[in-house]
Amino acid sequence: MPGWQAIYQQLKDKNLEIVAVAQDTNGVQDAGPWITAANPTYTALIDERHVVSKLYNMVNVPTGVWIDEQGIIVRPNETAFVDDRFKNFSGLDSAPYLNALRDWIEKGDKSIYRMSEERLREKLTVNDPDVILAAAEFALGEHVYKSGHLHEAIPHFKEAQRLNPKSWNYKRQAYALSDAKRDYGTTFVDEVEKAGGSKVYYPPPDLTPGAAGKDKRPQE
Amino acid sequence: MKWRMSIGVCTLFLLMACVSARGEETHARIIYDDHATEVSSANVDAGQLWITTVDLKRATGFALKPQGVCRDELCFPLPKSREQEFVRNSSGKTWFDLMAFARLVHQPVAHDEALATWYFGLRSDQRQGLSSREAPDFTLPDMNGKIHSLSDFRGKKVLLLTWASW
Repeated sequence: MPGWQAIYQQLKDKNLEIVAVAQDTNGVQDAGPWITAANPTYTALIDERHVVSKLYNMVNVPTGVWIDEQGIIVRPNETAFVDDRFKNFSGLDSAPYLNALRDWIEKGDKSIYRMSEERLREKLTVNDPDVILAAAEFALGEHVYKSGHLHEAIPHFKEAQRLNPKSWNYKRQAYALSDAKRDYGTTFVDEVEKAGGSKVYYPPPDLTPGAAGKDKRPQE
Repeated sequence: MKWRMSIGVCTLFLLMACVSARGEETHARIIYDDHATEVSSANVDAGQLWITTVDLKRATGFALKPQGVCRDELCFPLPKSREQEFVRNSSGKTWFDLMAFARLVHQPVAHDEALATWYFGLRSDQRQGLSSREAPDFTLPDMNGKIHSLSDFRGKKVLLLTWASW
C-alpha cells in the first residue's frame, strides 16, 4: 500500500483515482491495521464479502483492472505489483506494469497497453457453470462463518475450491480463517507447489504491445 | 359403514400425500443480493423453496405482476405454460418457488441444509457487465464506514486494485 501511495502522488493530477479494495472476510479487524499504517489518500475500501472478486471474476490478490473515464474496462484482471517485495517468490519485476500504467495515464486510448475488445471479451467472459456456482458456495461459506459457524462454513469453502480450483482467494481466505492443515489437509505452500509453482500463482501481466494494441488479429 | 371408513382412510392418505408433496413448512434464511432475510414459513421440497409473495418482496425486492416477476425496471416474464412451477395459491396466500425462479434467470444457489440457509448468487443479468466491457459497479465502505461507489469516479481513470491481509 505505501508503494501505491507514491504512484498516486505522481499520477493523481493526471486524472487518476486508485481504488484499493481489501478482500477480507473479517473486514476492518484484519485489513484496518494495514490501511492505518499506509495512510493512503486514495480510496481504500473494505470488502468483507469479496464482492469485487466476485463481480470481476478475480482469482488472486493483488489484482489490478484499468477502467477509463467512461467506466469501460481497458485492461482486465492481472497481477499488479507496485514494488519488488515479493520478487524472490514471484520472479516478477514490477517496473513493466507500472510503466505501462504511466503510459496509459499519459496517452489514454492511444496507449499501446489498451487491450483490444476481442482480447478483453476473451478474458472477461465466464460461462463455466462450475465457476459461477463456486462464487455462491464461497459467499454462503462466508455468511455461515460470519454468523458464528466456522465448522459449518468449511464444507462450503471446500466446495468452492473444488468447483473453481483456479481461485487462490477461495483457498487463502478460507485457510486464514481456520487451521489449513487440520481443516483442509493442506497448506498454502503445498498448494502453490502442486499447481506448478509461483509462475502459476502469479501469472505475469501480458504487456507485449502486440497482445494489447491491435483491435484485429494479424492475418494468418 | 365400510364405505365411510374407506373414504376416511382414502382422505387420510390423500391428505398425507398432499402434505408430503408440499413439503414441510419451516424457517428459512434467504440471502439475496448479499442481504439476509429470515422467513418464518417456507415450504421446502427437493430443489424447491416456496415462500409467500409477501416474503418474496421482503427478501428479494421482487414482486409478482401480470407481466412477470419485477423489481423497478427489471422484469422477468414467467413462461405461461409452466406458470404453476413458479406460482401457486394455498391457505389464502400466493406462494412463489424461488428455486424455480433461480433456474429461470440462471442464478447459482448454494444451500446449507442444517442451517436452513440459501444463498442466491449473481443472476445472468448481473453477470453481463463483463461481456459488455462495462466495469461492474459496486458500493463499499471505507475504514470509517463512509460509503463509496466505483461509479463516483466516472470521468476519471481508475486503477482498481484488490489486496488482502492474509
